[in-house]
Amino acid sequence: MTRPKLRKKIILLSITVIIEIVALIFFWNALKKTDVTNGQASPALGTSGGLPNLLGDLNLILPISFLVILLGIACAFYVEEWLSATNWVRRFIESQVAFLTGIPSLLYGLLAVAVFFGYAGVFKATLQNAEGSALAGTPFQRNTALFYTETLIFILTVMPVAIKTTQTALRSVETPIRESAYALGATQWQVLTKQVVPRAFPRMLAGGCRAMARAFAAAALLVGIYAWSHTMELRGFPDRFMLFLGGALLLSNASSFLTEIYVPASTQHN
Amino acid sequence: MNYSIEAENLNLWYGDFQALIDVNVKIPGGQITSLIGPSGCGKSTLLRCFNRVNERYGNVTTKGKIEVLGKNIYDADVSLPELRKAVGMVFQRPNPLPISVYENILFGLRIHSPIRSMTRTESDQIVEEALTSVFLWEDLKDNLKVRATSLQLEQQQKLCIARLLPLKPKIILMDEPCSALDAKGTGAVEELMEILAGTYTFLIVTHNMAQARRVSKECIFMFLGELIEHRETQALFEDPQHEKTEDYVQMRYG
Repeated sequence: MTRPKLRKKIILLSITVIIEIVALIFFWNALKKTDVTNGQASPALGTSGGLPNLLGDLNLILPISFLVILLGIACAFYVEEWLSATNWVRRFIESQVAFLTGIPSLLYGLLAVAVFFGYAGVFKATLQNAEGSALAGTPFQRNTALFYTETLIFILTVMPVAIKTTQTALRSVETPIRESAYALGATQWQVLTKQVVPRAFPRMLAGGCRAMARAFAAAALLVGIYAWSHTMELRGFPDRFMLFLGGALLLSNASSFLTEIYVPASTQHN
Repeated sequence: MNYSIEAENLNLWYGDFQALIDVNVKIPGGQITSLIGPSGCGKSTLLRCFNRVNERYGNVTTKGKIEVLGKNIYDADVSLPELRKAVGMVFQRPNPLPISVYENILFGLRIHSPIRSMTRTESDQIVEEALTSVFLWEDLKDNLKVRATSLQLEQQQKLCIARLLPLKPKIILMDEPCSALDAKGTGAVEELMEILAGTYTFLIVTHNMAQARRVSKECIFMFLGELIEHRETQALFEDPQHEKTEDYVQMRYG
């Protein structure tokens, strides 16, 4: 690297670091003023601090969203690099992603509540077994259901965002780069690891951030659901409304998929 | 006569569209052969068959036989990386990788050899040899760390040729190598091709008939997916046997 370039980089880096430190100081002061950093958790509103909530949120979403985002990235790689644009698996996944990214997570939250806490729950049997076992009445019983709910909601809300952004990042690498690497005899794996991923990585990171943001939004929902499950009779859930909601979601999803199948793929990349 | 490439009854479809119809061709080794014809006649498709890069576009069906250096490249045991190592390709727009000049030249070699198998001295020498044979060494020897995409187009295209050389290919395919270059760049690349022609077999696609006439020894005329005429360049241009060839070389269309 030539000297002027190095100097420029050092200057830019130090400016960024200074801006970040200043921002952090401001942010911390703001937090202090609103008493968010108070570590005391309290059932009474107004007296509790924000830190436990923040940590609770992170604790709730980090492990599962991390796994779900990784799964989404792997899925995007498979779809984008290994399946041709006309492959029906690819078209199915792409139509699902387009559909899911456009739906507010609240609807899925309600659906998940119906599935896991409601009447016709897939895991109803599990819950019933738990009722008869030593776990009955313990928080674990509810937590298991919450765990399944969270996973389902994250798969429906976070994963499509991860898939979409990773796909966009992979497409942003120009065709000539791939072409020239292939023509020199590189295997698909070499093209990906040596050329495509290094160039797509910044965008993939940004996509990961977007997916995390969606996970935080879904966390609010989860907290709501958990509180709901504490206060409401599980059997008192309005099942007809749920049936209607689930039916409507399935119907619109199916119609979007059929449109995707019958409208010929107009854009062929690679 | 030794032939580098022999294609027999080659048919190719993109989906339902037949792009190549019963192409039979023999490309002689160690000289420049050019492919001419109007747009969409299958020149580039034919060229891309010879190192099987067109398979990546999906939806391609190929039937027939292509022997490159005496081996059918559609056999099941053919390794694509090895084939593409032996049959290099230069594209229409110069497409060096967005890394340094030095790394560009070594990229091909690195993907074909185990990690850390080259010493620094060896790689320096390889880069120098490759750049010297395309007459870029004098211009670039102090700028080897410069990003290859920031060079002039002419230099980029020469670099694209240079990075094939360490792989020791037998055949170099060129898809309109000069269409993005000005007159001076075209001249330089043509001169380079003529010098390298003894060592490598060149097959170039060109829209520029003057260029085909200048550089190539044999010339192939294609029309709507069919190979119409394949003769010595001089003869093809001065005494075309086929009506369509005559129309084309006298620039009545195309």
